[in-house]
Amino acid sequence: MKISVYILTGIALSIIESALLSFFPVEFFKPDLGMPFIIYTTFFLGPMPGFITSIFISLFQEILSNAPHGSIMFTKISLFLIATFLKKNIYIDSKYSFSYICGGSTIIESFLFIALSILSKGETSNIINVLFYTIPNAIFTGFVSIFIFSIIESINIKFLGRE
Amino acid sequence: MKTSIIIITAVLVLAFSFFIFTNSSFFVPTYAKVKCNIGEIAGPAIKLVGKPANLVKYLFETYVNLFDAKKENVELKKKLDIFQLENQKISELEKENKRLKIILHLVEQNPGKMVAARVIGEDIKNWFRCIIIDKGRDFGVTEKMPIITPKGLVGQAVEVNKWHSKVMIVNDTNSSVDVYIDGKNSRGILEGTGQTTLKLKYILKNDEAAIGDKLMTSGKDGVYPKGLPTGIIITVNRNKPGIFADIDVMPFNNFKRLDEVLIVRKR
Repeated sequence: MKISVYILTGIALSIIESALLSFFPVEFFKPDLGMPFIIYTTFFLGPMPGFITSIFISLFQEILSNAPHGSIMFTKISLFLIATFLKKNIYIDSKYSFSYICGGSTIIESFLFIALSILSKGETSNIINVLFYTIPNAIFTGFVSIFIFSIIESINIKFLGRE
Repeated sequence: MKTSIIIITAVLVLAFSFFIFTNSSFFVPTYAKVKCNIGEIAGPAIKLVGKPANLVKYLFETYVNLFDAKKENVELKKKLDIFQLENQKISELEKENKRLKIILHLVEQNPGKMVAARVIGEDIKNWFRCIIIDKGRDFGVTEKMPIITPKGLVGQAVEVNKWHSKVMIVNDTNSSVDVYIDGKNSRGILEGTGQTTLKLKYILKNDEAAIGDKLMTSGKDGVYPKGLPTGIIITVNRNKPGIFADIDVMPFNNFKRLDEVLIVRKR
């Protein structure tokens, strides 16, 4: 139940983002609205919900993007694996530490994408472009994830029966 | 034990996505089909969200305009603001009417060859450049169909679903267009940079190319028909090493401000 609510919220936010971006003059930073949901489910609900969320969010992000087939799924599943292994070493105690992790994950995702492009296809044309947006995207994703964390927490309390 | 199984599954999915990324012929068709089916399920939602987004767009633009007007005319009364709002609404409608008239004129000039479409979304990653339009397979849209506006080239359809299509814009890093310089005997490849400007490649240093020259599609890449305006040369650098000049091109279209586009059905 919980996980489907999180996945649907993440997908809905991504669709809204895509629709709104077509006219807002925002190009320098585009937050990854799926990232907070992957991090949240992996850290707070366990590996299974994290894995399912990663698959669905990455599939939908690929549908809403011109990213090559499999690229976003690769980076998101990698992030899920990294988060699973680091779960015992990282402690999320507030929405702010959550936002740092989401921002950091966005940076790692950029480097994973670059590594994937170079190692598998030898493509270098997109590197500068990806690097150019890495930091602004990370800052903005971190910023937005503060609100997303609050939204998830209020969903938990109001609808999912958590005190 | 359970965690180990999930991790092993995740590693398998990771390997699977790697093979898809490397265009392995065994996995790509299945994956593309799954993505297409999910896209078709999500299609109505994307269209549905696009509609209130238009309302938000109108409110946003009105707010921005109003904010400026308020700065300049603090003393204006509330009634006048309402009139201004009405006025803005009319001028917005006039602008839209003008745009649609031009598009209609183009469609009427080429009956059956063009389909008008509305932009309903944009790429959620800024690493790539694509737009989502509200016409799909139902309107006869297929992959590699050129997308234009009355101003010039926009890009090509790369993924087509029942409800909507994904269009790769010419400034995407994966985009290449065969172009020639209008009125001159020079041909090159126009490549996207991911930024606002494009790069015109493979123009020799002694070729005729100057700032202000217009670029047209040559029709030799098998995707875009001949004679579509694409952009204008803004810088020419012949001082860099090598045999080719370094040329920057500004596209005719502002891709952040696309509302309606035309799909060229027959080439």
